[in-house]
Amino acid sequence: MNEKTEVKDIDRSLHDKKNESKHRYQSAKGLTPEVIKEISREKKEPKWMLEFRLKALEIYKKKEIPTWGADISDLDMENIITYVRPDADLQSDWDQVPDEIKDTFDALGIPEAEKESLAGVGAQYDSEVVYHNLKEEMVEQGVIYMDMENAVKKHEDLVKDHFMKLITPNDHKFSALHGAVWSGGSFVYVPAGVDVDIPLQSYFRQNAPGSGQFEHTLIILEEGANAHFIEGCSAPKYSVNNLHAGAVELFINKGAKLRYSTIENWSRNMYNLNTKRALVEEDGVIEWVSGSFGSKVSMLYPMSILKGARARAEFTGVTFAAEGQYLDTGAQVIHAAPNTTSTVNSRSIAKDGGHAYYRGLLKVTENAHGAKASVACESLMLDNESKSDTLPIMKLQTDDIDIGHEAKVGRISEEAIFYLMSRGISEEEAKAMIVRGFVEPIASELPLEYAVELNNLINLELEGTIG
Amino acid sequence: MYNKKLVDNLTTGQSKLLSSKRRDSFKVFEKLTKSDFNRINLFDYQFPEYSPYNKEYLKEKKWQSQIVLKKMTDNLNNEEEILNYLEEFKGKKVKKGNQGLDEKYLSMVDAFYNTGLFIKVPRNTELKLPVEIFYELDKENPVLIDNNLIVAEENSKLTIVIDYRMKDQELAAFHNGLTRVIVKENAVLNIIKVQRFNDQSDNFDSNISLVSNQGELNWIPIELGARNSVTNNENTLIDDGSRASISSVYFADGDRKLDLGFKMNHQGRHSSSEIESRGVLKDRAQKVFRGDLYFQKGAGQAKGTEKEEVLLLDKTVDSDSIPALFSEEDNVEGEHAVSAGQIDEQRLFYLMSRGMSKAEAKQLMVEAAFNPVFDKIPLNDLKGSVINEVKTRIRS
Repeated sequence: MNEKTEVKDIDRSLHDKKNESKHRYQSAKGLTPEVIKEISREKKEPKWMLEFRLKALEIYKKKEIPTWGADISDLDMENIITYVRPDADLQSDWDQVPDEIKDTFDALGIPEAEKESLAGVGAQYDSEVVYHNLKEEMVEQGVIYMDMENAVKKHEDLVKDHFMKLITPNDHKFSALHGAVWSGGSFVYVPAGVDVDIPLQSYFRQNAPGSGQFEHTLIILEEGANAHFIEGCSAPKYSVNNLHAGAVELFINKGAKLRYSTIENWSRNMYNLNTKRALVEEDGVIEWVSGSFGSKVSMLYPMSILKGARARAEFTGVTFAAEGQYLDTGAQVIHAAPNTTSTVNSRSIAKDGGHAYYRGLLKVTENAHGAKASVACESLMLDNESKSDTLPIMKLQTDDIDIGHEAKVGRISEEAIFYLMSRGISEEEAKAMIVRGFVEPIASELPLEYAVELNNLINLELEGTIG
Repeated sequence: MYNKKLVDNLTTGQSKLLSSKRRDSFKVFEKLTKSDFNRINLFDYQFPEYSPYNKEYLKEKKWQSQIVLKKMTDNLNNEEEILNYLEEFKGKKVKKGNQGLDEKYLSMVDAFYNTGLFIKVPRNTELKLPVEIFYELDKENPVLIDNNLIVAEENSKLTIVIDYRMKDQELAAFHNGLTRVIVKENAVLNIIKVQRFNDQSDNFDSNISLVSNQGELNWIPIELGARNSVTNNENTLIDDGSRASISSVYFADGDRKLDLGFKMNHQGRHSSSEIESRGVLKDRAQKVFRGDLYFQKGAGQAKGTEKEEVLLLDKTVDSDSIPALFSEEDNVEGEHAVSAGQIDEQRLFYLMSRGMSKAEAKQLMVEAAFNPVFDKIPLNDLKGSVINEVKTRIRS
């Protein structure tokens, strides 16, 4: 008899460290124009932003909850606290950040990572950014990296032109919610031709129980610019459900290249209903690297709109669904211009009753002649308590294209193990190699130094026995 | 129009149990609203007025003595047997399963069928020649609502060809059909369905099957006609080692719209399935391919593959593919692959360098894609006419 390969769960002890919820201001529960006005007043926002928020709230009230995907009936929207201001001011000197908050980020390895390998760091605690710093040489080249609140005031025109233009409150219920109550997040602007060769990183931490995090990330890359942005998320587990409904808008101009990496490790009571979209102009490139490990429910489908000729999108994603998790993720690519190309590579693992769902869209519009796309999805099931589904939708509206898709589901192949064993590798090691190899695409896409976080995340211990 | 009065008319002279089945189905039909087929922009479809179907659809053959073959609309003396078979479809724990392309369309057939056949191959019977059925639509018979039940008993073997066709190019005809299939232990059943309606007509067709222990069911659906064609083919592999395959071929040109659904529900251990679809889209044709491989819990060591290839001949076509894999069992092998694109320029160039015109070269390549499936048509006349039809239409 073969014994099944045991893959231990991710070690969450680090992330489950919770601080006493100290805050200066916390909005009332629920969603009313008064709460929205209150948030806007707290933030001392320009008037147009308040109007935008109120309009989004109206849309939110009208929109229905999606009827497909996850069951989110457990999520008590009326009782989510939409805004929690931590008891701290925004700092650009790490030592000034309050100890409690600092300790949390220290444990997560953020400051070390900054010292060693990052061009800039942002850290958000609950609804507000508590730390933001950008290396001097980047500032000199005109790179802007700051928290969204300040960007709204300091770079008002730039923000006004782009803010929620790619993701609008009309898109769905949670984008409307985001429009109404967004808070925190990062703003990145890279001028034409500037190459930010080391990554920028924002880390989002949700500490207050029963709250929602709605950070807004807006990145604009001018012509020929180049940047790598890393987003990390975590939260301790409380008995009440938390909600994350952020928005990420990426504008990639002519010939620019952006890599957007996410390591998402929200706690297992988080509803992660995030929206991410990139608009790519001529010869521009977007590369998504996405690791989904945490949350109770995730519904996340990053979209790349290839608007300019020869624009390119790449998506590499790993989803790991363990006990009690329903992770519904996938890439969306719209080929809307000639000779655009895209590659989607998704891996998912389901174990201990987890449910991994790949749901993707590939659309090629009428004028996208010469488009090339490939979608590959692989799922690994570690036991038969778990579920794994794959649903890639393809919509093709022109003839001169080359589209390929492949998907596979199954457990660790006996043949592969046998092959490795025939090469003198023990069965244990063979199985370990296969599982590691399975997640390798994402591990290899991250900068080595950044493995601080990833190492904390994936702690795979394999135990195999001789069959 | 599709009301109680019509049910009363239809049950006059029909045997008792089947009549009450019609009435029960009508109660279901009454309450339901029709689904829309969004992806081909078919909204709020209106069923045309009912009319009876009185054409003969069977070629008389000697083999008839070996099998049971009855018209579902007759006053049957074996109706209990039929109902027992129908019962088998109930209680198969399939998520949203056994509903055909839509419950409304399905219950419409069950309540208002104007023709249909019950075919049973008894145990240990093997028929060398295929059973040929042709449902032909014409001015006198513009509406076809066929309710078929095909049963292959243990160790039997049979091939059935159902040809849906029409000569009249002007007539706007309507077809809503239902074919239920039961394949018992060790039986092998092949079903070839050809749809060649004109481009004024609408085609709706549901196919549902149950395949038992070591049974094998092979479908060959060939879709060449109709203005709108919405079909569904769903197979449940209920026991150990049951097998099913679908080799689908379609050619859509002009303004045709196709919505093709294929589904394999794996319940039995070691069950295996294969879905293969090859198609060509030309002019402004629209097509949706839906292929579901569903591994239910308990279907250990099941294997399913799904493959779709589509050739796009014009800029104005619209091709949707939705291949899905749903798995509740780890010890399975599921795979799907889709490829879509133009005819390979290099191959086209090669053929043209050998003296072929572009049209001829294209035609040859389409034939090359289709022929492996066409070769499975056991009737030479039918095969010839299908091949000719595709040929002329590629050139037009």
